[in-house]
Amino acid sequence: MSNSQSRVGRVIRRGFRAIVIVALVAMIGSAPSLVTASSATAAIGTTYYPVAGAGSTWSANALQQWIRNVFDNYRWKVTFDDSGSSAGRQLFSQGTVDFGVSEIPYQLAGSDSPDPRPTRQFAYVPIVAGGTAFMYNLVIGGQRVTNLRLSGVVLAKIFTGVITKWNDPAIAADNPKLALPGVGIVPVVRSDGSGTTAQLTSWMRATYPAIWNAYCAKAGRANCGITSNYPIVSGTAFIGQQGSNGVAGFVAQSKSVGSITYVEDSYALNARFPVAKVLNSAGYYTEPTASNVAVSLLAAVINKDSNSPDYLTANLSGVYGNADQRTYPLSSYSYMIVPTALEGSFTENKGLTLADFASYFLCEGQQQAEVLGYSPLPINLAQAGLEQIQKIPGGNPKNKNVSSCNNPTFSPDGTNKVANDAPQPQACDKQGSDQCLTGTGGAADVVTAGSSATGGAGSTGAKAGSTASATSATEAALSTGAVSTSGEAVGLSSASGGTPVIAGVPLNIPGRGIPVPTVLLMTLAAVGVLLVMLLPPILARRRSTAAPAGPRRARRLSRVRVISGAAKVKNPNVKVRDFFRKRGRAVLQRKDS
Amino acid sequence: MSDSKSNSTAVSADESNLDTNGTRTELIGSPVTASTDTPRRLISASDGPDIAFRWIARGSGTIVVTVMSLVGLFLLYQGFQALQVAGPSFLTEQRWDPNSGKFGIAAVLAGTFFIALTAISFALPLSLGTALYISEYAPAKIKSALVTVVDLMAAVPSVVYGLWGVFFLSGAILPVSQWISTYLGWIPIFAVNGFDVSDPLASPTAFAASTFIAGIVVALMVAPITSSIMREVFTQAPIGEREGALALGATKWGMISSVVLPFGRGGIIGGTMLGLGRALGETIAVFLIISPVFVIQPHILEKGANSISALIALRYNEASKFEISALMAAGLSLFVITLIVNFIASTIIGRSRSGNETN
Repeated sequence: MSNSQSRVGRVIRRGFRAIVIVALVAMIGSAPSLVTASSATAAIGTTYYPVAGAGSTWSANALQQWIRNVFDNYRWKVTFDDSGSSAGRQLFSQGTVDFGVSEIPYQLAGSDSPDPRPTRQFAYVPIVAGGTAFMYNLVIGGQRVTNLRLSGVVLAKIFTGVITKWNDPAIAADNPKLALPGVGIVPVVRSDGSGTTAQLTSWMRATYPAIWNAYCAKAGRANCGITSNYPIVSGTAFIGQQGSNGVAGFVAQSKSVGSITYVEDSYALNARFPVAKVLNSAGYYTEPTASNVAVSLLAAVINKDSNSPDYLTANLSGVYGNADQRTYPLSSYSYMIVPTALEGSFTENKGLTLADFASYFLCEGQQQAEVLGYSPLPINLAQAGLEQIQKIPGGNPKNKNVSSCNNPTFSPDGTNKVANDAPQPQACDKQGSDQCLTGTGGAADVVTAGSSATGGAGSTGAKAGSTASATSATEAALSTGAVSTSGEAVGLSSASGGTPVIAGVPLNIPGRGIPVPTVLLMTLAAVGVLLVMLLPPILARRRSTAAPAGPRRARRLSRVRVISGAAKVKNPNVKVRDFFRKRGRAVLQRKDS
Repeated sequence: MSDSKSNSTAVSADESNLDTNGTRTELIGSPVTASTDTPRRLISASDGPDIAFRWIARGSGTIVVTVMSLVGLFLLYQGFQALQVAGPSFLTEQRWDPNSGKFGIAAVLAGTFFIALTAISFALPLSLGTALYISEYAPAKIKSALVTVVDLMAAVPSVVYGLWGVFFLSGAILPVSQWISTYLGWIPIFAVNGFDVSDPLASPTAFAASTFIAGIVVALMVAPITSSIMREVFTQAPIGEREGALALGATKWGMISSVVLPFGRGGIIGGTMLGLGRALGETIAVFLIISPVFVIQPHILEKGANSISALIALRYNEASKFEISALMAAGLSLFVITLIVNFIASTIIGRSRSGNETN
């Protein structure tokens, strides 16, 4: 059986090999002329030819903004498909796209997949820094929580299915001011191959190996390395969605109360949703702000060996445990993978576009990073990136060194300006203190009312408060999303333990009703669609009836008459139906005729 | 086989025998054999254009068959490496982790069938009702408009259905799922892990991204095709038999149940099977809706589903060479299954009375 199978395979393989050889011969025949032609032309491209890329959704928001900017200002056409880092690396490797974008390099140490380096020549160019944020949808008593704080171990336990309820004592210990409801936690993870997943699993694997390995084994993974495909244990609350937009969109839905996901901070900003403050090694709960990320990344160990294939890639293990008070543990940066040789469909003209685009985003583009929810690249990385893009064939980047570069992190003494100016965390962000009431992420302007009474009573008080209100919040949370009066009463009454209650600003829920013009427009559109659908058959019918009565019309009339005549025959008194059924069906039998 | 047709030829043979030999009684008593059933051979004079047309027709037929077998061969060639590595466990393994050599289609294949069967159980009554209404009950004035609308439904791209499913249906259907699970949860397929009826804080996300939602969306995509096949067959129910039924005093429904439905049985089954074939291969709508899981998940209301085509769409972009081989092997299994389903469908249509007459 297997012998014959392998023989069949061999035959097929041999046939295929023959085709490949023929194709190779044909290519070799034409290749030398191509090579000589390309080397004979000028090394710098002459026109800005469109370039296409694919990859990371983590950095897609920044990249898409830069792509719009360069098109508006210079008419350079760059397209980027945010299909995930794994897809970006693979598509670049296959030569399908001109550049790839990924959070992790090829052949990442400790990864669970081999992910071989491409045969085409390439270099890494760092593009933007940022924090992998934990965007969540949590409502207490009809009011959205915007000031959640989570320690690393709690996060690791949430994303490994160990902690499954929001009123878990470990979460309550992080959030003394919140009366957490007994709602189940729904971790929303990426279903496609994702660099963001790789960042998260890399952090969990480095920081909480026992928790991660136990989960990974439970999910049936043979290899518990850093993975781009998040393992899901069936029967748990985990939900897999595709792309950063997919997971962020799922969490942002009103039905998804209790869900939490990991995305780049910019997605939370766009969705106007809060992100969790994560406990860092210095004992402060911090947000992935531009300055916090910049400070954190000072501890990244960057590969400075320009002969290494992983030149400029970073080892983030120092970032996870950075002892500065202002750090965000899950800070990282993303790379663009650019070709350094004219291979496949890559030409000098494409090189010209790509090099200038890279030069734009390494310098001016970084100024927008903070607004977009990212962090500008530090000076050393931008400088090294500028050197890397000079390897792009056909390129003539506008900025060849840092002096002409307008990057916001640059300072005269060469240190990172953004990191130097980073504000110290507030006192209320310190571990053990009552948490700040100000919002985070995309909901920074929404204040959460302190809804639990603790006031230095310690963790037991927090626990008691949370359990007491969890039971009473039951009714309120029944209709999640609706701002019910009983819900607000719960939030306030449970906080009557002596500490002053800072009343929260009620959350406005826009878009409850549809404005009249929209309704009118939609009705008009619906009528239009109906007309387009129904008019042709009706018109056709009218025309056919208006036509002079021919034989066709006469026949139709006669048939109608016959049927209606037959229908009139039916007589309810005659029980033909049963008789008819007994006789079987009205199939003509040969015997009858 | 076709009773009426074969009988009529038999009768004509009988009559001819009667004319020449006068042995009518013998032949009537003997069963109709294949030898008397052979249709007359048609012979036509062939000139230049005729020969050219014959070759064009023959060429097109050959190309279709060739392309089909090449697709199969291509999948087999591409997937061979993965099939060799996985061996027979390819059919029994639920995980999909080609990099560690632990991969198989048990979970995705089961998921494909769960989604397709859910879809068919919605699409069958829906399209049967639509087809019967259009062919029997609809006033002549709106009949053609209805046919246009149904055909238009078939022309809507599947990604549109998928987006509708993601942005509208998956939110709106949750209370229905919850109701079914609350009251019918004792039936194993409607049970939902992680949903406790007595817990008022239970998150409705336990019902999101389920086989049920994907099945409904696929049902809406399958229904137009199924219903137009059924309608086509119902309208062909012989007018003479309809008139006969009505003349015997049958009510409208009596006529339909005794003439139209038995006549169209082949069309109903065949249309459903063709719909099933399409439901098995539906990709993008399923891909958008489901939250992929790699275990056999028979709880259709519970979040988490999977299908072969969605798996391919999800992983193809980022797949390494070996992973692509594994995906191709999964594609091959889907190809074979769809072929079998369609083959059964065409056999059923062909064997039925209505199908045979339209062949």
